[in-house]
Amino acid sequence: MCDAVTPTEQSLHALYRDHGSWLEGWLRRRMGNAWDAADLRQDTFLRVLASSQSLADLQEPRAYLLTIGKRLLSNFYTRRNLEQAYLDALASLPEACAPSPEQRWLLLETLQALDELLDGLPPLVRRAFLWSQLEGLGYREIAERLQVSERTVKRYMAQAYEHCLLVDF
Amino acid sequence: MSSTPSPEAREAARAAARWLTRMEFDGDTFDSAALQCWRDSSAHHEAAWQKAQRLRQRFAGVPASLGMATLDRQALTRRAVLKRALGVAALVPSAWLLGRALPLEVWRADLHTATGEQRSWTLVDGSTLQLNTDSAVDLDLKARRLELVRGEVALRLAGSTPLSVQSPYGLITVNRGEVCVYLADGDCRVSVLNGSAQLQPLRGPSLSLEEGQQVNFQASGAGPVRAFDVAQLGWRDGVLVAQDQPLGHFLRELSRYRPGVLRWDDSLEPLRITGSFRLDNTDRILTLLAASLSLDVHMRTRYWVTLTLRKKLA
Repeated sequence: MCDAVTPTEQSLHALYRDHGSWLEGWLRRRMGNAWDAADLRQDTFLRVLASSQSLADLQEPRAYLLTIGKRLLSNFYTRRNLEQAYLDALASLPEACAPSPEQRWLLLETLQALDELLDGLPPLVRRAFLWSQLEGLGYREIAERLQVSERTVKRYMAQAYEHCLLVDF
Repeated sequence: MSSTPSPEAREAARAAARWLTRMEFDGDTFDSAALQCWRDSSAHHEAAWQKAQRLRQRFAGVPASLGMATLDRQALTRRAVLKRALGVAALVPSAWLLGRALPLEVWRADLHTATGEQRSWTLVDGSTLQLNTDSAVDLDLKARRLELVRGEVALRLAGSTPLSVQSPYGLITVNRGEVCVYLADGDCRVSVLNGSAQLQPLRGPSLSLEEGQQVNFQASGAGPVRAFDVAQLGWRDGVLVAQDQPLGHFLRELSRYRPGVLRWDDSLEPLRITGSFRLDNTDRILTLLAASLSLDVHMRTRYWVTLTLRKKLA
């Protein structure tokens, strides 16, 4: 609208100036890699910008930045872990079944999105849901594999559906 | 990030989830008219139902094998991933970290493996820690303490600062070198591969163990110290080694690495088996056994396997 700096921007600048390199240093120590750390530093501040937390009355700015930074770091490793699993799975496919390079990346993106969607589900619930959605297994087969009752599987499935439906996608 | 759903949207999501499971559970007997009635009764309901259809389509576009391998990977929970990142500096050169004032969390971690999984870590002090299948430890490097919660751990100390391994049946102090500790069914076993260790069982005097020595101990105290065969610890290299071993013994060992149920006829117990088997594919081990010992492998599912002697054709 105009060039006037809003109070929020002002405190964000101050936050960045005072604690930006400290945060990057913290991230670099954990990641052992300056580039990834610099990226995550930017991401952290983007999250701060997007959040509704009022920066002016932030009591402990470094603790706040660390909370966000840690979460992003965790996502970073989850993502890397998923990529590795995906590449391993691709490598073990017979040549004829392997998707084309474009499909590979599209698929990776889809998988990353689905992974995020399922994040937070208990492991067994997640597994039951994946068997149902990806392998098309019925509740009875899932119950047999997990060695639980069909009722339990039904409950797991309801939990997974509800979880997914509450996430924006 | 997702926005917080309204109470109506929340209620609709829950109801849609119930309808979906009812539909899948009931099969042919499902009352689709009732579902239609529910969908028509509110825009929130219809929206939730449409979203559920989109959800199912997203999964439908993923090839099952790739999807399962990726999304059902040995899922480190996010917390565990974070702990791994923070607790064990596999990615950070240890020399760089040493001698700095680090927050406590960097020195502490809960590490675990799933059934069939093996994993190793380099700790901040340069020591290495390896977990066998279905194992868990709590590590507190600052206190030089490791608690074995379940399963089997191999530990190689980098320096000569002792580290203690707490098990339910006694405390092991590793002075230097490399040890393996295995906890199962009320029994714990410590093996010293090199270096030396001290065992203080819950009852009885403490014992000194040297390279090549092993001892089992339980709640009642420690058994005799004896020499051991290093082949028994082949898991550290991802192999299961058998040297003229009774098959029953081998299968009990193998089943530690397989999720689900592995059963066999009693008549198989005394058969003998010799060989080195790679643990990364236990299905293949079963196939090899079947071929070399004339067994039949019945797989109801991958998780329910029964071995029997092959019936002789008349």
